[in-house]
Amino acid sequence: YLPLIQIFDRRKDTELRAFVQRVIAGPLFKIIMISTISMNAFFVVLWTNYKIRFRLFRLFEISEVLFVSIYSTEFCMKVYVDPINYWKDGYNLLDVLIIIIISIPYALRKIKGKHYPYLNIANGMQSLRILKLITYSRGIRTLIIAVGQTAYTVASVLILFFLLMYIFAILGFCLFGAPEMGDQNNWGNLAVAFFTLFSLATVDGWTDLQQELDDRNFVLSRAFTIIFILLASFIFLSMFVGVMIIHTEDSIKKFERDLELERHMILMEEKQVILKRQQEEVSHLMQTQKNVDYKSFSELVENFKKTLQHTDPMVLDDFGTSLPFIDIYLSTLDNQDNTIYKLQELYYEMVHVLRLMLEDLPKKQQSQSLEVAEK
Amino acid sequence: MVSYHPAGHMHLPRADAIRSRLVDTFSLIEHLQGLSQAVPRHTIRELFDPSRQKKLMLGDQHQLVRFFIKPRHVERITHARRLMSRLRVRCSQRPPLSLWAGWVLEKTGPLFTNFIIFLIFLNTIVLMVEIELLESTNTKLLPLKLTLEVAAWFILLVFLLEELLVLGKAESNHNINPKRMLFKGYFFLMLRQSLIPEVVVLVGVTSQSVWLQLLRICRVLRSLKLFARFRQIRVIILALVRALKTMTFLLMLLLIFFYIFAVAGVYFFEGYTRSTRQDLEYHMFFSDVLNSLVTVFILFTLDHWYALLQDVWKVPEVSRTFSSIYVILWLLLGSIIFRNIIVAMMVTNFQNIRNELNEEMTHLEVQHKAGIFKQQIIQRRQNLSPEAMKSSHSKID
Repeated sequence: YLPLIQIFDRRKDTELRAFVQRVIAGPLFKIIMISTISMNAFFVVLWTNYKIRFRLFRLFEISEVLFVSIYSTEFCMKVYVDPINYWKDGYNLLDVLIIIIISIPYALRKIKGKHYPYLNIANGMQSLRILKLITYSRGIRTLIIAVGQTAYTVASVLILFFLLMYIFAILGFCLFGAPEMGDQNNWGNLAVAFFTLFSLATVDGWTDLQQELDDRNFVLSRAFTIIFILLASFIFLSMFVGVMIIHTEDSIKKFERDLELERHMILMEEKQVILKRQQEEVSHLMQTQKNVDYKSFSELVENFKKTLQHTDPMVLDDFGTSLPFIDIYLSTLDNQDNTIYKLQELYYEMVHVLRLMLEDLPKKQQSQSLEVAEK
Repeated sequence: MVSYHPAGHMHLPRADAIRSRLVDTFSLIEHLQGLSQAVPRHTIRELFDPSRQKKLMLGDQHQLVRFFIKPRHVERITHARRLMSRLRVRCSQRPPLSLWAGWVLEKTGPLFTNFIIFLIFLNTIVLMVEIELLESTNTKLLPLKLTLEVAAWFILLVFLLEELLVLGKAESNHNINPKRMLFKGYFFLMLRQSLIPEVVVLVGVTSQSVWLQLLRICRVLRSLKLFARFRQIRVIILALVRALKTMTFLLMLLLIFFYIFAVAGVYFFEGYTRSTRQDLEYHMFFSDVLNSLVTVFILFTLDHWYALLQDVWKVPEVSRTFSSIYVILWLLLGSIIFRNIIVAMMVTNFQNIRNELNEEMTHLEVQHKAGIFKQQIIQRRQNLSPEAMKSSHSKID
């Protein structure tokens, strides 16, 4: 593993690699690829019609050669730029898969001859070429990332569903698939039983199937069918919806949180850059001043302070310097003053009343109270 | 606030904050670099003050002034006032028609809107009665038919007028709200639909063609105007439009999958299409791309898929495995997985929209309360006796 990387690191063609990388990342390349893939998709549609295929077959052959060459050039360029990390990206693997799919009909024709019955299947798979467009659409990529995180849940629910169908298929085969009286068509072997059950689960045409079972007078058939439909269609498929809703919500929230975090990080970095510049300027100033006049930063600020006057107007945008705040602050201070005046008056009143009370006390304590009053 | 500090310095956040404030407020760095002796700051009032102005002019007549504008709102400026203070309205010879349009639509208040709602109801009733009496040849009903026709034309004219008013008012408002534009486009479309049959009848085309009947029926859509006026329904329509917008990529992906399966279907079922058996029910379902697309949609809605599959199995040239793989794969992927993804996205979107609306409402409420509180305090201060004014002046000094 290690020597391989070292070999590739010592490549001497770094300039050519950088150039090719720039070409691949450029907008012109994207436009070319998108138009090529769209043309290819359109031609695949045209190719399905026999008459058009007959009349324009030369055009189709040439365009086919062109498209295959463009795709393989793209593959070669990307592999050339970065041979090891190329295989780590999913979309590159998709490109490779599509190139393999493109070469299948040709290989089949060579190996198995022109009349191989499954040739039309290989031709049909050419419609997958349009999947290459997904690489160039940012929105669909993010959607796939968001939805792809629900893949595990989807897979597990599907496996559970398959298990349920398996149980009921075997049950159905044993009950209704007996060779003589049974319904051979629909429950004869496991595969057909599966199809019948899937038809019941998607509740499409299940009444006909039930009718056939009824015609043969099976006792348990109605209970069987109804229980299976309740379990599979109502409960399972609704559970599917519920699980998808929760997981989509989670993954979308997580995705949006990641986006927010990214934006926040970029903002913080920009702020850092500005602050850094300020600090550097200040320290640079301090350095130059130290060399020239041996004045420190505090002395400089002192000198600056002396140039300021009290009557200089300053423009500030603090909350504390806005007019509504000043209005409210001054009126609060006024309220405070009023309260203090009122309190003072109340205290005077209190002292006056107490004094009157003291004067009304019996004359034995008059001397003491007089002393107290004089104090 | 995170800040950058070179190695060897202690990290003092407050010192950094104060330093940043100093630098910002006093342009300290420019001053220390010797770019300016003192940074002059003048207010607009000083500029208009003759003595200060003289001092400024004596200094340097060619100096540049950088304006630092801070908007200050004394009170809430209503939309109407804003529209009235535009340059076009104040400096033109004749006031634009949009002013009158705005007055009619807003100032007359509920009168105009109620009138329009009444007309919409009347229109619906008139159309209903007209359709009932369309084929009858009873001569006694002739005046009734005449009145109905006249009423229909009159209502159409009033709707046209209202449409022009709204258009005129909106023309002045360059702040185009995309939501409003949506409604506007919708209104126009509807109006055009209701105008065309009248125009065509006037021109003299016979009213027997099917298209004309259809267009007349479209007049009924006018009653949908009613629904757009209720706030709740507008909110729901807004929510739906937003949900659709977020789902565009999902729909695009779905279209791509439709394409893939349609084209693949044509190829996979070539044997089925070319088969010479006479008892095939769905023979033409995969004959060319358009039919295949329709078939794929039919499979997407889970309708008669098993019957189709069994029909395909009747033909021995088509391999059973591949056809069943195709159908089952498309059912799983399209109708089960994709449809539930769409439901999930709708639910998430509606939740988001509801949360956002709630947040907005609470935010507006809080702001409203704060504004009222501020107003109250300022009012109370202005109502106080002059002693308060004296005390506040002493505080300033």
